[in-house]
Amino acid sequence: MVRSSVTVALEWRANMRGFFARRGAWLITLLLLLPAMASFFGLFFYPFMVTVVLSLRPEGEAVGWTLEHYMAFLSDPNSRNIVLLTFVLAIGATFFSIVLSVPLSLILRDKVKGHRFFRLIMMIPLVIPGLIGALGLLVLFGNRGWFNLFIRDFVPFVQGPVNINYTVPGLILFYVWLYFPYTFLTTLGTLEGLDPAIEEAARVSGADRWQVLRHIVLPLITPGILSGSVLTFMAAFGAFSIPLVAGGDHRPLSVEVYKQIDMFIPARWSRASATAVLMGAMQVIFLSLYMRFLKRETRS
Amino acid sequence: MNTLKGFARGIWGGKLLLTYTVLLSLTLFILMPFMIIFLKSVGKDWFGKRWFPPTLTLEWYEWAIEIVHLPDVMKNTLIIAALAVGMSTVIGIFSVWAFGRRHLPGKEILMAIILLPRMIPTITYALGIARIFYGLDLVNTHLGVALAHVAVCAPYSILILSATFEALDERVLEASAVCGANALRTFFFVTLPLIMPGILSSMIFTFSTSYNEFTLTLMTYGPDTMTLPTRTYLAVGEGYWEVTSAMSVIMVIPSLLILLFIQRQVKPEKLVGGFKGV
Repeated sequence: MVRSSVTVALEWRANMRGFFARRGAWLITLLLLLPAMASFFGLFFYPFMVTVVLSLRPEGEAVGWTLEHYMAFLSDPNSRNIVLLTFVLAIGATFFSIVLSVPLSLILRDKVKGHRFFRLIMMIPLVIPGLIGALGLLVLFGNRGWFNLFIRDFVPFVQGPVNINYTVPGLILFYVWLYFPYTFLTTLGTLEGLDPAIEEAARVSGADRWQVLRHIVLPLITPGILSGSVLTFMAAFGAFSIPLVAGGDHRPLSVEVYKQIDMFIPARWSRASATAVLMGAMQVIFLSLYMRFLKRETRS
Repeated sequence: MNTLKGFARGIWGGKLLLTYTVLLSLTLFILMPFMIIFLKSVGKDWFGKRWFPPTLTLEWYEWAIEIVHLPDVMKNTLIIAALAVGMSTVIGIFSVWAFGRRHLPGKEILMAIILLPRMIPTITYALGIARIFYGLDLVNTHLGVALAHVAVCAPYSILILSATFEALDERVLEASAVCGANALRTFFFVTLPLIMPGILSSMIFTFSTSYNEFTLTLMTYGPDTMTLPTRTYLAVGEGYWEVTSAMSVIMVIPSLLILLFIQRQVKPEKLVGGFKGV
């Protein structure tokens, strides 16, 4: 018995050696990919599936299937406002980020004095926790903040404090503060990658600066701007910390998901999961439509 | 004097003025939240409509240290970030090695799959992670929170490292082999020094991601694993704006150091560059 198991072990070893010789390269590749695969499946795919399954279970139970949470969300009259708000915030933030980024990168491309310093400043929101940004902006734009003091002391004809905090335009402003660097950096990158010969050719042909900008530069960088703006859109769509702290009564989808767990006792995990799954689906659908639109634009 | 000359030369005299108005107002827009938070954290009796606090104090920092237990919170944050950075870097190096140095079919698709977590709102899988970690008793442990962070940090690390590995010249490694170095020697004395800057920047970026991560922490934290963002969030709820400001100031310092490092060492476009394939 002992002898035979030893033989088996030896045979197995011999087999494995042959296997390694033939398949060694492959095995090593697989082994190298193993940690990434483990983290992808263990920390993303499986949790995502858990969320999906949870959204299909009756609240608080581990068995049974139901669509009631999706139905509840879709038939709730509030849901339409929440979805609308999420899209308004994300699209608004994306739009204003583009409006801000294009002139800014045109300016900084010319390497004006101190352009390094300004570049550094524009990247601050990328490395700062969103929460801190939200806090600072809340204080800055509060009724007693510098913004309203400035209006009181220096801007005539405006009565009383201007309400910015906890309003939709205010939230868009906060989003732009935090998320515009994505669009800005990609726009700047595209601009700097532009062949200067093209512009020179247009200039030599008699176009003035404005015409060069309007007919040459802008069309050329549009694809870059749009693909950069995807990043701002994604960040703004999934934004959580800013609306959680600075949203007030305006709750986009991400906060709505969290509130289901945070505000209800017992926590409404299934309802939260259903909302989260719908949110993910909306983002994926919107992004794929946008990418398709982008591809067509780039081709034409 | 130089500035004056610049003006005198009149390269778009009016345009220059406009340029700097735009730049300075944007700079103010970005910086003012920090200035006001800083003033709030050192100001006392700053009520009513005043531009500046009447008296200065360090009291709120003492509060932050003694009542909010900031050193403990900082320790938790750093331990979690270190664990997350370590795991993501190992994952990154291994998989990028497989991507860049070995023949692999369907590389593009694999890469897209690995980057998938960055395209779906974090909260969708954060819910699942919370449920799984509750079951495994990983909630409220440093390892648990760090593992949750790896979900977003690892794709980042892979992105940044793949650029480094693509730039690695095959011929240098061959030269090393020709000169008689074995695989291990080549790795430690040739490959590693070449990819070190990439690894370092990947570590910096993943550290920053983990340090700032809020959604995943909120779903998996507990009293023993309070990190800076979650503690700040709770402090907002408690309503002590001055103490919260003091915490925010402390929290912002490492982020700004990271920014300075990024600016010196790495191309800033890398911060977002990886998303281009989205």
